Amino acid sequence: MPPRAEPAKDIAIIGYGETMVDLRTGRSSYDLAAEVLEEILESTGLGLADIDGLSVGETMSETANPFWAVYVCEQLGLTPSWLQLNGLGGASTIGGVARAAAAIRDGMCETVLVLAADAQSSNPPTEYGAHRPEFQYPTGLKGPVGAFGLLTRRYAHQYGNPDAALAKLAVTQRNHALLNPKGCPKLRKPITENDYLRSKVVSDPLRMLDSVMVCDGANGLLVTSTERAKKMGVKIIAHPTGYGEITNFNGRERLPDITETGFSVAGPKAMKQAGLTPDGVRMLQLYDDFLIALLLTLEQVGFCPPGKGAQFVLDTDFGFAGELPLNTSGGQISAGQPGLAGGGLNAVEAVRQLAGEAGDRQVDDPRNALVTGIGAIPYGRNWAVSNALVLERA
Amino acid sequence: MNADAGRAPRPNNYTDTTPFWAAAREGRFLVQFDRRTGEPQWFPRSLSMSTGRRELEWREVSGRGVLYSWTVTHSPWPGHEHRVPYVCALVDLEEGVRVLANLLHVDAGSLTVGQPCQLVWEDLGGGVRYPAFELR
Repeated sequence: MPPRAEPAKDIAIIGYGETMVDLRTGRSSYDLAAEVLEEILESTGLGLADIDGLSVGETMSETANPFWAVYVCEQLGLTPSWLQLNGLGGASTIGGVARAAAAIRDGMCETVLVLAADAQSSNPPTEYGAHRPEFQYPTGLKGPVGAFGLLTRRYAHQYGNPDAALAKLAVTQRNHALLNPKGCPKLRKPITENDYLRSKVVSDPLRMLDSVMVCDGANGLLVTSTERAKKMGVKIIAHPTGYGEITNFNGRERLPDITETGFSVAGPKAMKQAGLTPDGVRMLQLYDDFLIALLLTLEQVGFCPPGKGAQFVLDTDFGFAGELPLNTSGGQISAGQPGLAGGGLNAVEAVRQLAGEAGDRQVDDPRNALVTGIGAIPYGRNWAVSNALVLERA
Repeated sequence: MNADAGRAPRPNNYTDTTPFWAAAREGRFLVQFDRRTGEPQWFPRSLSMSTGRRELEWREVSGRGVLYSWTVTHSPWPGHEHRVPYVCALVDLEEGVRVLANLLHVDAGSLTVGQPCQLVWEDLGGGVRYPAFELR
């Protein structure tokens, strides 16, 4: 589809909900999901019968159950005419918003709950299969932590040691988490740049404070057409105006540069569709499983040239009151990663900010937000899914 | 029992890797090559990334490569606790594929990107040999 002169505003986000993020709650993913749905119904005044679409993310905790999406409907009392299960890892929520928009435009449903719930820290996942038992596990590579250790080392080799920038990001996000009552309580204490630099090395050069802590939690967005929102008389918070996605970027290359990511495709696509350039972006809610991912995202969406991410970070105030607010709820790194619902954490924060309901960490003039997602770790590269969504305040 | 027996791979888990593991027992590293284009690929798959066809053959490679990146693992994957610290590396083989493997017998503090590496075989016990690298 050619880029539009004016981004379409025919799709509306009309609600959001989020549980607290916490460690080993003992709750199920269904139970966490129920809390999100209740919050959305309370805040919008809508009922179960008003929701006729469900887009739900795959989980770690329920991954052995092939009927997870169907059982969610049964557990939550939903009777959708369109049901979508997204296996995009941390890219599932904004991928779900884009798919919901397409389904609504195609007349398959009118109002979609885009849901993510995962009790990963209470119910860890089973085996992944594929090539891993033969060509990964015997090496002892420590999953995502090991893969991002390899990536960080290579990045430092090509572009210089990014420690100072990563330390700044760690502190910025932690300061935001201190203002987020829904963040994981264990992480709600201040840190300094030195705390980051001295934190335990887990997969050298990767540190403990480069990484997320896996928790339990759930979040969701309610998406409908702008027309339907007006008919129902509900407040429109935001419009999704641009989206880009790619899976298995560079997947046929035998010796790719692993510092090049799918954001070089997905980022510019989303921005162009939204009619935005980086200097027009008001805030960033970027997927942050590891801090180094933020540098690569900034570079490849186009905020700075390749390899200049560290300098860009050092030159920019990412505080919620700063010039380019970043991950204002603390992000996954400092609010905790609610398993595969982690991709919804920053998306919900973007919508909350655009609604002007972010309380002590509210961004001034919240006119738009760039949200990104990252999903799954492939063999010997960076990550498998990259996507980007632009939201514009209604 | 060898402490590394728990690390043993599970052959033929997703595609037929019998030729690879048979050659591994003889100390030969086999890689898939596309029969039409001659392009190699690693890890083994059921079709060629080069053509989308299943016209693949196994050929022995030199085992010579260079270090692309590495990480020193202090927080181990389950079953590898007794090996800490150990080095996981990406090695680019001369033939043009990148392999994830352990780098053995190295001083992790003095490694540099681009260092020449040579394939070695690690004995995991029970007759299982697994590819790893050393500095050349």
